Amino acid sequence: MSKVLNDLIESLKCLPGVGPKSATRMAYYLLQRDPDGAKNLANSILNSFKHLGKCKSCNNFCETAVCDLCSDNGRDNSVLCVIEMPTDLLMFEQTHSYNGLYYILMGRLSPLDGIGPKELAMNSLYERCKDENIKEVIIATNFTKEGDATSTFITELIKDLDKKISRIARGMPSGSEIEYTDTGTLAQAISERKNIN
Amino acid sequence: MKRVEDHNIYILHTYPFKETSLIVEALSENFGRISLLAKGARRPRSLLRGYLQPFQMIQATWSNVSDLKTLYNVEWNSKYLGLKNQALICGFYMNELIMKLLPKDESSNVFFNFYHQQLEELSLNVGYESLLRLFELKLLEELGYKVNLDEDENGNPINPKKFYYYEAEYGASLPDVSTNGVKIIGQTLIDMHNNDYSHLNTLKQSKLLMRYLMRFYTGHDLVKSKELFLTNDR
Ligand SMILES: [Zn+2]
Repeated sequence: MSKVLNDLIESLKCLPGVGPKSATRMAYYLLQRDPDGAKNLANSILNSFKHLGKCKSCNNFCETAVCDLCSDNGRDNSVLCVIEMPTDLLMFEQTHSYNGLYYILMGRLSPLDGIGPKELAMNSLYERCKDENIKEVIIATNFTKEGDATSTFITELIKDLDKKISRIARGMPSGSEIEYTDTGTLAQAISERKNIN
Repeated sequence: MKRVEDHNIYILHTYPFKETSLIVEALSENFGRISLLAKGARRPRSLLRGYLQPFQMIQATWSNVSDLKTLYNVEWNSKYLGLKNQALICGFYMNELIMKLLPKDESSNVFFNFYHQQLEELSLNVGYESLLRLFELKLLEELGYKVNLDEDENGNPINPKKFYYYEAEYGASLPDVSTNGVKIIGQTLIDMHNNDYSHLNTLKQSKLLMRYLMRFYTGHDLVKSKELFLTNDR
């Protein structure tokens, strides 16, 4: 096989879930069926690296020093919601129920995968939380054990800053019936039940 | 083809495999540490997904074809432990050490039962330090490394008032015999032997001794979970 083609296949293998077989298929597809699409893809990737940086305020990808969302005066800058990934931000925006700011960790603490506080640049989050406008930090990491550990770590990390710290609620999915709920969710819902009187 | 039905396991860790599957690392009641392939477990609506979390005993059914174990089903069968805060981080620390040190497919159900008991105690949120020390000692014992705490390397009983030097693979020696390893007062060794961590000095010194031993046996490999402890240096 040509070395150039081999390099392309090797490069495609960096995508998650792509092994040698799919990489070979993708390479032939790009070269043979869709050369324009392939050129666009190559350019977009190069462009992203040239122009995209991280927002100083929320750590999301953006082309300016501070992203549009963070520089929007209509947002409530007294609450900061800490999330794992940019896709989580899109989910919260879809709720139309949160108007504060975000901080994106770009992952979660997962010591068994070698991801500790340094790999997630937790010191940048600490610096961000120092902002005196911020009164409340909402921790919205996933409800996996790694997400919970990340939440514990952040709580310890920022506790000397004297902010209100909250964790998003968990429990039964909205509109769900107990009969059809998975046992784990139900076990946790009864054990972490909320007082209502 | 062999099939194992409704067997108690604890998930230690999972990692992605191909596009939608997971490799599940688990501690099983009778088969020791095992790896299972959970096909399709990363699909958004997978029923397995919610159950494949650490620190909660589940019942698993899998098939054995040569070396590959494929997970078919899991069921919830124990009370909700809900490890929180520092207890949760202790849990990660234990899982990381098991993953680093315990070989696959060989272990006793004694160790499984011990692990199970440790998690139950962790969920009660008391005395993490002593639980971690006990865990480290039991894990080394499970691996066949005996940590002699009640006698020195010559077989003499430990004197609580004397200082010893504890060296991995050798044990405790009086200073005129050897000064390799960690300096430690006899009382600490005796307390550790009796699993009594009520004295502050025992807590402090046992931490130093176990840190030294764990470093020795992990080949100075970093234990990443330790970075998650902010409150004090464990
Ligand atoms: Zn921003």
